[in-house]
Amino acid sequence: MGKEECKTMLDALNKVTACYRHLVIALGSTSDSQNLREELKRTRKKAQELAVANRTKLTTLLKDKSISKEDRAEYERLWVLFSSSMELLEVDMKRSLEIGQDFPLKVPTRHLIQTGMTGSTSTVAARAMSVQNMKYEADSNIDTADLKDLQSEITQVSQMMEEMEMKVQVAPWAVVAKQEAGAELKSNLSVGNSSVGVISICEEEPKDDEAHADGHPARGAPPQGRAVTCPGGKQGLKGIQYK
Amino acid sequence: MTINTMAKGGWQREQTICFRKMEKMIVAMQDPDMGMKLRNQRLLITVIPHAMTGHDIIIWLIHKYSVCEEEALHLGGMLVKYGYIYPLKEPRSLVLQPDESPYRFQTPYFWTSTRWPASELDYAIYLAKKNIRKQGELMEYEKERYSLLHKKINHTWDFVVMQAREQLRASKQRRKADRIVLECQEQAYWLINRPPPGVHNMLDVGLERQNNFNLRATLVSIEVHRRALGRNRVKSSICLEGFLKYSEQYQNHDPIMQGCLPSNPWISDDTAHWTMNTEMVPVPTRLRVERWSFSFMELLNDAMGRQEFMLYLEKEFSAENLYFWQACEEIRHGESSKIVEKVEEVYKNFLAPGAARWVNIDSKTMDKTLEGIKQPHRFVLDDAQMHIYFLMKKVCFCKLREKDHTNISANSLQHLIMFVFPFMRRQRHSSPSPAQAVAQATEEEGRHKGAG
Repeated sequence: MGKEECKTMLDALNKVTACYRHLVIALGSTSDSQNLREELKRTRKKAQELAVANRTKLTTLLKDKSISKEDRAEYERLWVLFSSSMELLEVDMKRSLEIGQDFPLKVPTRHLIQTGMTGSTSTVAARAMSVQNMKYEADSNIDTADLKDLQSEITQVSQMMEEMEMKVQVAPWAVVAKQEAGAELKSNLSVGNSSVGVISICEEEPKDDEAHADGHPARGAPPQGRAVTCPGGKQGLKGIQYK
Repeated sequence: MTINTMAKGGWQREQTICFRKMEKMIVAMQDPDMGMKLRNQRLLITVIPHAMTGHDIIIWLIHKYSVCEEEALHLGGMLVKYGYIYPLKEPRSLVLQPDESPYRFQTPYFWTSTRWPASELDYAIYLAKKNIRKQGELMEYEKERYSLLHKKINHTWDFVVMQAREQLRASKQRRKADRIVLECQEQAYWLINRPPPGVHNMLDVGLERQNNFNLRATLVSIEVHRRALGRNRVKSSICLEGFLKYSEQYQNHDPIMQGCLPSNPWISDDTAHWTMNTEMVPVPTRLRVERWSFSFMELLNDAMGRQEFMLYLEKEFSAENLYFWQACEEIRHGESSKIVEKVEEVYKNFLAPGAARWVNIDSKTMDKTLEGIKQPHRFVLDDAQMHIYFLMKKVCFCKLREKDHTNISANSLQHLIMFVFPFMRRQRHSSPSPAQAVAQATEEEGRHKGAG
């Protein structure tokens, strides 16, 4: 059915957007490298493919006059989620252009910022691309060569978003969220079904973190460093008042 | 759907200049030879590199920029305040402690930026992530903001939840040390961009927010201010003295301070005051005549005074000056369409060699004026007019003050001029104190039957 397909595609786009943001955060830091630039490039291209696919699908569905009112409301909700995703993507792409330009990899006088992050981001990229392992095959000048592509892609995305706003008449204020406040604390089911199994939400936090500054005891009884599986619903909505 | 903060068509915000400078400083600190000395941070079993102490930061700043410790502390403090360096021990206290407290650099994505302001959507995602990580144990103000955002961007709330979950899953892919760093970085970023209540918002510079969008406009305003610095200024002690003199001189003439005779028409409905003070009356009031002696401008601005002066000038065979001055005033204040023809007339009557009423202007001004007449505009005769004004003032007006009143033959106005002279004689030296003026005024009044 159209709806399920839509949701799956949206989930995929959502996942890739999240991974892309994670990668852009590492730009310019000591986690930055040739590989990261290639990961960015490929994640970005994947995001664009998904974006175009989502847009085509949703516009076809929305154009269809014969759908029921509930269906239409649902598609409008999905449309709003899609545009939000695109918003994040556009900003992240622009930022990655800016930071990428400011931190070229091969110039010896330009140093990366020593942020404490030193690990590789290949697992994140692998998640985005839905592969087991990443294979790197880019040229050594990818950090500069890719920027031109990036610029044209940004223009493309901006144009697409403009078109979207002009052509599709969806009133965002009319959309009501399905999830109520605090919903993220309940089960970990996503909108669709593309999630990787979630583990270890209640992990030990390092001593230096604010957990101590706030006077709360370090969360979770388990000893340091060991991940524990907490089914999301266990702690529930204890003690929270959402007005 | 949030409002797009960047206009379509390429115009973007600029990064505030002071932030750009701080960024340069941070990059300089990364130099492997000349940069900051870094150590490892040891958490229970994890070791995270790239930590530095407050003391190290200050020493580096002192060496690099050759400044004193106080200034280094201030500079370093700014770096922490604006989030380029964040503290590890007490994340909420954004100050630079010059001791062994550990700090770390912030990643470029999270640098404070006027170009990329933090959006509500991002903040909502962050709060949702924190909610998940802390199992609902957000701080009070965070809970409030969470509820507020839930209402405000409710249409996209599902996206917030989805994205929060996915971002957490993505970060699970990193190793533990990196994950910790990521959390600290994000927390530091939001402490600056959405400070807790009661904490001053660094990004808010109040009413004097500078507009950095246009570099050219800034350069222009620098030039304007530089020129303003060179302007002559009068000390306030001097201009206040002048102000005082003026107030003393005019005190009796102010209808509010002194009351107006015979009565205030607004109150008594008797219009005698206005009838007595119209532009042309048979006999002007005493106060009016007194004002003529205050300054040349007062005399000229009063129609009757001007008339009197004209009569006097005609006797002295220098009336053309006043005619010229009047003609120039008409051009300055008259209709634009008549300017050209009026200037022509003035030239014909006053400036041309052999003119009927030729005025005596110095050669330099005359040349300049004749040149300017070729392209007449409203102010083309200003220089000449000013020259004649000062000529009249110095020569005729001041002579008038000293003049013996017996030379005046105007009959119906004789007693007026007699009033003028005594007052004028006194004015020559200093402004009279009000008490003195009143005393002598009553004396005069006794002697002459004056009007008003």
